[in-house]
Amino acid sequence: MKQLNNMKVIYKYLKLVISLVLLLGISIDTIQAQDSVASKTQLIISYFLPANKVPYLEVTTRKKIGRKFEAVKNIPVDIYFNEADPNNLLGKVITDTIGKGRIGLPPSFKNTWDSLNEFKFLAQSELPAGQDALSADITIKKAILSVDTTSVDGTRMVTAELKEKNGNDWVPVKDIDMKLAVKRMDANLSVGDKDFYTSDSTGVSSAEFKKDSIPGDKKGMITLVAEVDDNDTYGNLVTEKAVNWGKAIAPQKDFFAQRTLWAIRSETPIWLLFTVWGIAIGIWGTIIYLVIQILKIRKLGVSGPIKEDL
Amino acid sequence: MKNLQNLSEDQITADLLPQKFGRRGKIWTAGLIVICCIGAFAYIKQLREGLVVTNMGDYASWGIYISNFVFFVAVSLVGSLITAIFRLSGVPWRTPLTRIAEIIAVSNITFAALIIIVDMGRPERLYFLFTHGRLQSPIMWDVIVITTYFFLSLLLLYITLIPDVKLMISLKDKLGKPFSKLYKWMASFWQGTEAQEKIRNKSITILCVTIVPVAFCIHTVTSWLFATTYRPGWDSTNFGAYFVSGAFLVGAGAVGIAMFVYRRVYKLENYITDDHFDKMGKITVMLALLYLYFNVNEFLVPAFKMKEEEKAYLNGLFTGDYSIMFWFAIMVGMIIPTLVLINKKGRKPLPMFIAGVMIVVGAWFKRYLIVTPTMLHPLLPKYNSPLRFNHYFPSWEEWAITIGSMAGVLLIITFFTRVFPIISIYKTLEDKHAITNKNETTEQYESNLQVS
Repeated sequence: MKQLNNMKVIYKYLKLVISLVLLLGISIDTIQAQDSVASKTQLIISYFLPANKVPYLEVTTRKKIGRKFEAVKNIPVDIYFNEADPNNLLGKVITDTIGKGRIGLPPSFKNTWDSLNEFKFLAQSELPAGQDALSADITIKKAILSVDTTSVDGTRMVTAELKEKNGNDWVPVKDIDMKLAVKRMDANLSVGDKDFYTSDSTGVSSAEFKKDSIPGDKKGMITLVAEVDDNDTYGNLVTEKAVNWGKAIAPQKDFFAQRTLWAIRSETPIWLLFTVWGIAIGIWGTIIYLVIQILKIRKLGVSGPIKEDL
Repeated sequence: MKNLQNLSEDQITADLLPQKFGRRGKIWTAGLIVICCIGAFAYIKQLREGLVVTNMGDYASWGIYISNFVFFVAVSLVGSLITAIFRLSGVPWRTPLTRIAEIIAVSNITFAALIIIVDMGRPERLYFLFTHGRLQSPIMWDVIVITTYFFLSLLLLYITLIPDVKLMISLKDKLGKPFSKLYKWMASFWQGTEAQEKIRNKSITILCVTIVPVAFCIHTVTSWLFATTYRPGWDSTNFGAYFVSGAFLVGAGAVGIAMFVYRRVYKLENYITDDHFDKMGKITVMLALLYLYFNVNEFLVPAFKMKEEEKAYLNGLFTGDYSIMFWFAIMVGMIIPTLVLINKKGRKPLPMFIAGVMIVVGAWFKRYLIVTPTMLHPLLPKYNSPLRFNHYFPSWEEWAITIGSMAGVLLIITFFTRVFPIISIYKTLEDKHAITNKNETTEQYESNLQVS
């Protein structure tokens, strides 16, 4: 009887295990099926106002394959201002290998830019027959971002101010997240402890500069960066300011510009120059001396007494 | 040397003066010219179509041209051995061999320089070597040292020739006109005065002292072209000595061949005697054993360790694709000549000639083995390369140019022999005086002359 009960328990657990295995197998199949399905191509348009440069528009074409996005290259995209009318065409781009294309706002757009405070940009792409056309738009407000530094009780502060154009005036914008950072080679490094700082009612966000020993150039100059990143209303804004808050670092001499055995010919090691030229001058000096000796023999033969017998 | 006692001065002069080509000489010269022309044709084809006519590729980017270059540089070293080292060490029997060694040196170093230009593909690149060359590169050192050695060898050849050429000017009636202008330009000023003689002797001594280190440099630097590169077979600190010892051996072998041929063709038995073969044979044995010693160092130690990256290369040499050539070069180029020449009978003219041929042929294949197997075994993995890049066998153009260059070397020696005495008449007469008058060595005779 006891054995029968044990068998029942084992059978019960076995059923549970088989059910779980089947369920897991179906789930994996479903996930794999989802992973192998590719979505339609997406078109995205973004606005950028980089520091001291002309504003530009960037389009991105991508496709979701499985659970990640992959770039779609070689997609022709027309970019318009306001509506898809040939008169409003700002430019045409073809997306590159990372699925991106970019145009600067053309000089002919200046009057429109100066006269308006809000802009709508439209991106359209006519794909080959059988595929749906792609379209995307973005509406941005004209805004300006500035960065400055202050010193409060010996504490260095970095401040950024965001203003938007309202009528003919620039008015502060509050509650906008922005990055306050130091520009480095690969990415920007936040000046303080937080990644983002939010603007107050005066449109100003500020952070204490805590990167005192950060290496700068040979004069200790570093570049502070304020950045509004992918904002729905204002797009992407970046501004910069150079300050001498860094640690002065003498630039390293270019690896290949040093006097080494693998350097270019003008950077030959001194010891090698002395050795080779020393030997060459020594030997060639001897050769020249010997040629002079031959000339001397020749001269003696011309002017000296004639010997009959050799 | 004692044979000279029985010969009159006129007889010596007549025997050693350059002779017109006979029938065999003309056929020999014509044959060499034809081979050179075929080589020149192949080179023109290479110039027109580029290095694509060769079978060199991404891996074997140095092929038969560089092997040939190393071979020529090696043979050219003999000039310093016979002329400079023998003179400075007071070897009394050197006279009949010095000029043979000098012209072998000049002709080989000339073609060593030319074959490098052939290997460059586009000859104007030589100019870029001077305008853009880096002094840090051993290739640049090689260019400098080859040019220097060429001029030193040429100077040595010229200075030792002066009295003989003057003698030939005085024998214009006997020799005819063909080269009289050249002779006059070269030595009409020579009167053999004490002052001239003094300067000439001093110059030869300076040249001999200078040429020895330059000769060592030339082949050491050539070895560094390989040894400064991190590759299986080349990554060796032994390479300089290994190359120099090999060069002396092949040079001695080449002189042995030339001694036999000149003696036989120009009937110079009274001048290049059995004694010369005997002594030269002993030197060759010593050099062969020395080179064998460096070969043992060069191959036994890496074979003992059998490092992973050198395994394929070493196995290829010992038991693989190149094993027949490798063992041929070791046996024929070193061991068999040693066994032949170690016996007194083996140091007779004919065995010495055969041993010389074996040494020279073995040495050429040895240079091929130094270059090609290493090139085909790079340390970096091979990716996406055509299958043919894994092997190298020279194209007909490469063979034609290489054989043409060898014919060119022989042609220079042949023409030189036609125009100038291959054994110094002046020095032979001096030797005769030394033997007949005082029964002393030439050096003692010369010093006595200076004292008097």
